Formats: sequence, structure tokens, C-alpha cells
Amino acid sequence: MKMKKWIEVSLAIGFIIGALYGLMAAAYGLSGLLEGLLKDKFGVSGGAGFANLLVLMLGCVMVIATALTLAERKWSAMMQDRIGPNRATIDIGPLKGRALGGVPHIVTDVLKLLTKEDFQPATASKFLFNLGPILAFAPVFALFAIVPVGPTLEVAGQKVGLYVANPDFGLLYMLGIASLAVYGTSLAGWASNNKFALLGGVRASSQMISYEVALGLSLVGMMIAFGTVQLAGPTGMSEMQGHYLWKATVGGLDVGIPAWGFLLQPVGFILFFAAAFAETKRAPFDVPEGESEIIGYFVEYSGMKFGLFMIAEFVEVVVLSGVLTAIFFGGWTLPFGNEALASVGFFQDHPWVLGALFATIFWVKVILLCYLQLAIRWTFPRFRYDQIQTLGWKILLPMGLVNLFVTGALILWDPTLRSLAIAGGLEIALIAAVTLVPRGGAKDEHAEDHGHGGHGAHGATDAAAPALAAHH
Amino acid sequence: MSAELVLFWVFAAAIVASAGGVIIARNAIASAMSLVACFFFLAGIYVLLWAHTIAALQVLVYAGAIMVLFLFVIMLLSLTESGPVAQLSPSRILGAVGTAGLLAALVGALLRLPKTLPTWVSDTAQVQRFGTIKEVGQVMYTQWLFPFEAVSLLLLVAIVGAVVVAKPRI
Repeated sequence: MKMKKWIEVSLAIGFIIGALYGLMAAAYGLSGLLEGLLKDKFGVSGGAGFANLLVLMLGCVMVIATALTLAERKWSAMMQDRIGPNRATIDIGPLKGRALGGVPHIVTDVLKLLTKEDFQPATASKFLFNLGPILAFAPVFALFAIVPVGPTLEVAGQKVGLYVANPDFGLLYMLGIASLAVYGTSLAGWASNNKFALLGGVRASSQMISYEVALGLSLVGMMIAFGTVQLAGPTGMSEMQGHYLWKATVGGLDVGIPAWGFLLQPVGFILFFAAAFAETKRAPFDVPEGESEIIGYFVEYSGMKFGLFMIAEFVEVVVLSGVLTAIFFGGWTLPFGNEALASVGFFQDHPWVLGALFATIFWVKVILLCYLQLAIRWTFPRFRYDQIQTLGWKILLPMGLVNLFVTGALILWDPTLRSLAIAGGLEIALIAAVTLVPRGGAKDEHAEDHGHGGHGAHGATDAAAPALAAHH
Repeated sequence: MSAELVLFWVFAAAIVASAGGVIIARNAIASAMSLVACFFFLAGIYVLLWAHTIAALQVLVYAGAIMVLFLFVIMLLSLTESGPVAQLSPSRILGAVGTAGLLAALVGALLRLPKTLPTWVSDTAQVQRFGTIKEVGQVMYTQWLFPFEAVSLLLLVAIVGAVVVAKPRI
């Protein structure tokens, strides 16, 4: 029985990775063909970007986001020692009565949302009410445009890279578009003409004011480390992270410490992750929703309009994972063996085979980071609005400023980034020590003060404490 | 008609329409959203002028940050749709005269423009470098460093002033 389970799980994982590899190979092929076609027929470039828009954004991001609706239920069930969704079945032949890992629940969810009555409150302001879900979804989705998924290669005589666009102001586009997402939430809350929804909308804006400054500031360290704000392209952050800071060759395999963002900028990573997590409006930053308090800014929405809010949240999880991978986790590169792989003769003759492999590595990293985000969402209790403001303005912002000065000084002193990596390693060790070593007297006193009733406030101070301590 | 011209007219018409929406809409939230749309289309015009960085900053700062604050304040105040009826007061009359004067000055300036378009587009490499984040940064931190610092000082004064006004006891 145990063995059978292992085989099933490995088969499922193998299927997902194989499907991703096939999709990525198709992405390279389609971009090369479309780019060539548009250049020959109309003399314009941009075909590759359009092909990537179809395959990467509509194909990968949307499908992973849809799968996350199921994954959230399964993983939360796993964390809470429940069985999880197993009621929906497809009663055809051998599939009869089998839960199939809950996969049919995705179909039933979509059918339910599509067939539900599209209710609209009589006193709601119609235009803004309908604009809300669109404005909540579109910016989040558009964010993925600048994330590079795979290396730039020559396919069908055209140079194509797996990104939709590579503007010269890269990360500014990301920050600018990300800041628009809050309009959807606020408008939905306001236009519903419902006091609870309005509370949700106002909470969303107040939350956004708390984290947005820290969000931008946390990335400046990475920008000065690589001297660029672009993500894609040969000088973009994603590709620069593939270079080694220290390199050795062991039996033909190149190993070493790569210039991955979270090694150079661990504090920047924590700041960005915390601020961007607040942007996704998921627990512990789910005050705009606060289902146990005010139900949320989407109380009055039903059917697919609510579905759009829901899927926007999951798309944001995927996009945030993609952005984190591209900025802090080396993009599509492996921590070792990149050069060994690139020097294989077969891969040099067929570069797209290797390119699709690297792109698959990117998506595997994205899925792992999605898991991390879901684990955080089901572990931490909700912050109060004033705790989010304190976190944003009194912890993240000063940390970001100090991080910026330290990073700038280290890069000025040693432009090879090696001393920055050493400082980063020390920071990681410090954070790990503060997190893992149990606190003695202070902990007991804390527990006595609050007894066993500490809920939101208790968890919040606990979560903030390591970050503060690591900083000092 | 080139693609650039088509885009210009699309953005220009949208800017005028959304700017009109800001003053015509009775609903304060709708008015604020029109302003957001106006900023967005203005960013499009900046892109047509090869000022990519300014366009991104326009969306980031004005549409993304400042208007969110506006929206937040409007929501907190919960304004009713029927505002006060327009009345003639000295300040309004002065404002009208000032606006008419500004309009006249703008029209006068536009009429003095040469009829043919300037041909500065000849140096393609320079045009493509112009407006990139690197060029804007270089110019801002060397040639225009003093105005840049002066503006940041002005913002600091505004922040201190806001704190002083909001908090009588510090």
C-alpha cells in the first residue's frame, strides 16, 4: 500500500514536470515561428512576446493559479490533519467512486461559479461595481509580463527569450502596476454600498499605504548590486544571478556560490517577501477580507465576479513566486552545473532542449515558492490593521533604509559582490540563530503575561521579533 | 497616418474625456477614478515622446500612490452625491478669470509653434537613449542636482508641516 502511494505520487510529479517541459519547448517553438512570421510578412518584431503572452501567461500562470485553488484545500487539509476535498467524482467506468486527489473539485468550482446568479445590489453604483473585479484582476495578471522564464536562444533563425516584454525600466513597471491592484479592492468595497464591504475596501487602502514604501525600498539593494532594473536580457538581474562568485570545477561539474539574490540580500528578500505578501491580501495580511470579522470587500459579489476576485488572489501568489524566483532565487539557473550542461554537445546543437529544461527549473522553483506561501497562509494568525502599519513603517522601512546603506557601502568597497555575499551569509546565519535558538526567560515571562488566550497580537509580536532581533 | 499618430489621438481623446469626467462626475469616487485614468493615458503620451521612465514613474507615483491616498480619504469622508449647489463667490470668480487667462496664454503659445514638425528624430541612437532610466538618472543627479534636492527639501517641509498641523502636542 505504501509502495503504491509512492509510485502514484512520483508519477504525478513526473507528469507535472513533463507537462511543464513540453509547454516550455512549445513556448520556444511558437515564439520562434511567430517572430519569424511577423518579421517576414509585416516587418515588425514582437511576435515572440505575443507567443509568450499566450503560453506563459494564459497557459502556465493561469493553469498553476487554477491548480492552486485545489492545492490550497489539499495542503491546508494536510497541515490540519484532515482528508481534504474528496466528494466530487467523475462516475465513468473505472473512475467511478474515486476522488482522484480532488481534481474534479476544480471543475465543480468553475461550474458553480459560472452558473450562479449574477446578483447586483439595487443601490450599488453599477459601473464601478462591475469595474471592481476587472481592476482587481488585470494589474496582478499583467505583472508577469516582465518576468523572464528561460534564457534567450536562437530558435528558427530568430533570437527569442521567454518573456513578454523587457522594458528598460523593468522593476519600475512591476512596482507601478502592482500599486494599481488596490483600486479593484477599494472600488469593490465602495461600490457595493454595503457597510461591511466598505470597511474591507478602506482596510485594503490603509494596508496598501502601510507596505508600499517598504516594497519599493527592499528592491533597491538588488538594483545597485547588479546595476540594473531590468529582469530579462543578458544584463538583467535574472541572468546575472547565474554567475558564480566563487567557482571550482569538480570532475567536469562546475560548483560554487552563485550570485543568487537571497545570498547577496537576505534582508532585502525578507523585506520584499513580507511587503509583497501583504500585497496578495492573504493571511496574515488578510484584514481586507477578514472573513471572521467583516466577510470582506466582495460580500456583495456572486458568481464569476466573485470568482475573478478569488482567482486574482491565486494568480498573485503565482506571479509573486515568479518575481521572487527571478529576483532572489536565480531565475532559471541551477545553483551548480550550469556551464557543464551548456557545454554538452547535444545541447549546443539543439539549444531549445536545454532552454526548455532551464525554463522547467524556473517553474519548479515557482511551485515550491507557491507551497511556501500557502504554508505561511495557513500558519500565521491575522495581523490587526495597526500591527500592519507598525510592521510597515516602524520595522520594514527602517530595516530597508539600513539595508540600503550597508549594501551601498559594501558594493562601493568591493564591486565584485563577494564581500556583499559574505555579509549576506552572516545575516542568514544570524537570522537562523535568532529563529532556531529557543529564547529562555523572556519566553516564559511572555507566556505568563498572555496565558493561553493570546491570539492575533501574540503571534504577531512573535513573528516580528526575530526580524527585529536579526536587524540589530 | 503613422501608428504613432493614431496612438497619439487615442491617448489625447482619452485624456480630454477622462479629464472632463473629473469635473463633470457628481460622484467623488468616480471623479477620482477618472483622474487615475487621465494619469494613465498621460503616461501613454510620455511613452510616445520616448520618455519611458517618466511614464513608469507617472503610473507608479501618481496613479499608484497619490490617488490611492485620495481614494482612501474620500472613502473615509463618505461624501454624499448631492454636493453643494454652485454659487458665485469672489474666490470662484477670481478662479474663473485666472483659468481663462491661463487658457488664453496656452492657446497663444500653441499658435506660435512652427507649422512643420521639428526633425530632431534624425539621430536614432540618441532618441533611443533619451528617456531611458540611465539617461534620466544621470541628468537628474548631475546637471539638475540642486533643483532635485530643493524639491526633496520642499517635500520634507510639507511632511513636517502636516505632522505639526495634525498633532498639536508632540
